[in-house]
Amino acid sequence: MNNGKGTPAIEVRHLTVSYGARPALLDVSVRIEKDQLVGVIGPNGSGKSTLIKAILGFEKPDVGEILIGGEDVQKAKGKVAYVPQRGAVDWDFPITVREVALMGRYQHVPWYRSPSAADREAALEALSMVRMSDFAERQIGQLSGGQQQRVFLARALAQGSDILLLDEPFAGVDAATERAILDVLERAKAAGKTLVVVHHDLATAAEYFDNLVLLKQRLYAFGPPAAVLQEELLSQVYEGRLRVFTDLMAKEGGR
Amino acid sequence: MNFLLHAFWAPLTETYFQKALIGGCAVALVSGAVGSLVVLRRMAFLGDALSHAMIAGVAGGYLAMKLLFGVEAYAPAMLLGSLIAAIITVALIGVVSKVSRVKEDTVIGIMYTGVFALGVVVVSIFRQYIHIDLMHFIMGDILGVADTDLWASAIVSASVLTILVLFFRHFQLASFDPIMAASTGLPVLVLDYALTGCVSMVVVSAVSMVGVILVVGLLITPAATAYLLSDRLDKMMALASLFGVTSVIGGLYLCVWLDSAGGGAVMLFCTLQFLAVLAVAPRYGLLARWRRLRNMIPQQVVEDVLITVLRQQKETPLKVLQQFVQVPQPGTLWKAVKQMESEGLIEALPQGYRLTGVGEKQAANVLRAHRLWESYLASIGTPEDAVHPTAHRLEHIHGAGIVDYLDQKLGQPEVDPHGQKIPRRGNGARKKPAGNEPEEQ
Repeated sequence: MNNGKGTPAIEVRHLTVSYGARPALLDVSVRIEKDQLVGVIGPNGSGKSTLIKAILGFEKPDVGEILIGGEDVQKAKGKVAYVPQRGAVDWDFPITVREVALMGRYQHVPWYRSPSAADREAALEALSMVRMSDFAERQIGQLSGGQQQRVFLARALAQGSDILLLDEPFAGVDAATERAILDVLERAKAAGKTLVVVHHDLATAAEYFDNLVLLKQRLYAFGPPAAVLQEELLSQVYEGRLRVFTDLMAKEGGR
Repeated sequence: MNFLLHAFWAPLTETYFQKALIGGCAVALVSGAVGSLVVLRRMAFLGDALSHAMIAGVAGGYLAMKLLFGVEAYAPAMLLGSLIAAIITVALIGVVSKVSRVKEDTVIGIMYTGVFALGVVVVSIFRQYIHIDLMHFIMGDILGVADTDLWASAIVSASVLTILVLFFRHFQLASFDPIMAASTGLPVLVLDYALTGCVSMVVVSAVSMVGVILVVGLLITPAATAYLLSDRLDKMMALASLFGVTSVIGGLYLCVWLDSAGGGAVMLFCTLQFLAVLAVAPRYGLLARWRRLRNMIPQQVVEDVLITVLRQQKETPLKVLQQFVQVPQPGTLWKAVKQMESEGLIEALPQGYRLTGVGEKQAANVLRAHRLWESYLASIGTPEDAVHPTAHRLEHIHGAGIVDYLDQKLGQPEVDPHGQKIPRRGNGARKKPAGNEPEEQ
């Protein structure tokens, strides 16, 4: 761990976001250091997507602030690259793999100009980093689930942001594909990116991430998986569904 | 020859036809391009709403100019009135669907019929003051295009096309992934309004030609036709414009030859064009889909071939396969065998087909599934004569973990109910090789 070393990539301070009377997030403070692969876990409706939206600057906090690389989130538009959930994308949209990657460059191109040769180069480079260059001319609907996920990762890489936000990248892909995506995430991390990943599967959380954020309205735990995946904590957060997880903890222990 | 020349050339010498052609093409050009975005963003109903709202705007504009300045049928005021009415309708739709529990599609239906009705009532109440031909409004009159309409459509066409070309990337990104667009600081809301504004202008300028009812068709049909043929947005927009123009040209000739209503002929041609493309489009067309389905070889046939050859325990000629393998269509078996040969599951020898190493493993897996299903069926009390045929259907269900589950549940039996040995689990199952994803072709 590199506590206190330099400015953190993302710093969330006492964040409270509410819809009406019910706070979606209550007093959440997280300090995510650079070059980390961080998982965000918690049950459905626990405020994971609100946290993501807040880090993207879409939510107006009731209290608290979010700093991206030491800068207020509203001034840091485009510094956080977002990879949407697979279900949120229109896969029939007439767009090719190359164009999706190139979209990552749009924020760097002034409106009166076309993307330059350098932009196109950067997009291709991002595609080759996720091993998708061979599919550049394909329409995105003709790819397999894992390939689709990788194309959007390439777009995020092409944005040149140091922080990547991924919304359930492992949802609905098979085990082999999950490994392939994880491999790309690891390489992005090695290239100096900070990755924040919303994740559903507690069974793999320990293996995949450097640090975990355990969320249910408020922050229950933040730290290395071993410290977060405690039976007591999980039982508080997941309440009635604990039995499943005790089995799971036993398996984790046995490994 | 002379007749053909006459049929195509004669209308071109008529002024009304030239005007219709110019005005129609100008509108079609831009409605195709902007319609592409409408189709992709599922806003088709909006075009309909806008055109219906127009009549209230036209009546309002007419009335205001007449009462305030005594000017009769002042076109710019009516145009402005239409735009205002369109914007008010859109705003009403947005507000009501946001604050009430009534869903958006219903709200659109309520608002546009309501505003349309208001327009009709106003026009009929003030029929002494304002002279609007409702029929003309509803059906349009592409053959009677006035010069002012021509100018209006030319200006609208030019300005909307300019906006679309200049901000193509922005519209593309905001339509495809509004969240990412907003996260990079793109003014998504402004772009939404800009697009709605563009659609309104196009609709308003098109209504005088094809009428309220058909205008939405001119907006979305060429775009949908292009959608079936394109994998890129810029290409889709260009094609949609092209299809719009061909509909206008084709429709106008149709109308002159058949002596029919202009707007109707244009939209009829446009729709026929869509249907033709729907049938023959190379990737997304019906013919292509049918051919794909026909060429697909059911996994079941492949597995039946494997297991038949395995049971024969020697080279199996095609004749024997025909006897044991059931196929949906006569040609399928031959195609299946060819494909399996190229995939390296079987090889052809003079005496018949033989399993390769990979094929043998896969066949063993299917056999294992079959015999475990048989054991399972026997264990739940299935009548003896039904065990084999049922298992024959069930053996094709051997996805991840299913066969192993049966194996565990039955206590890992060595033999099936007929006393035949159950093969151990092999690793040649038709699973995707790890780390390597299925690719088409």
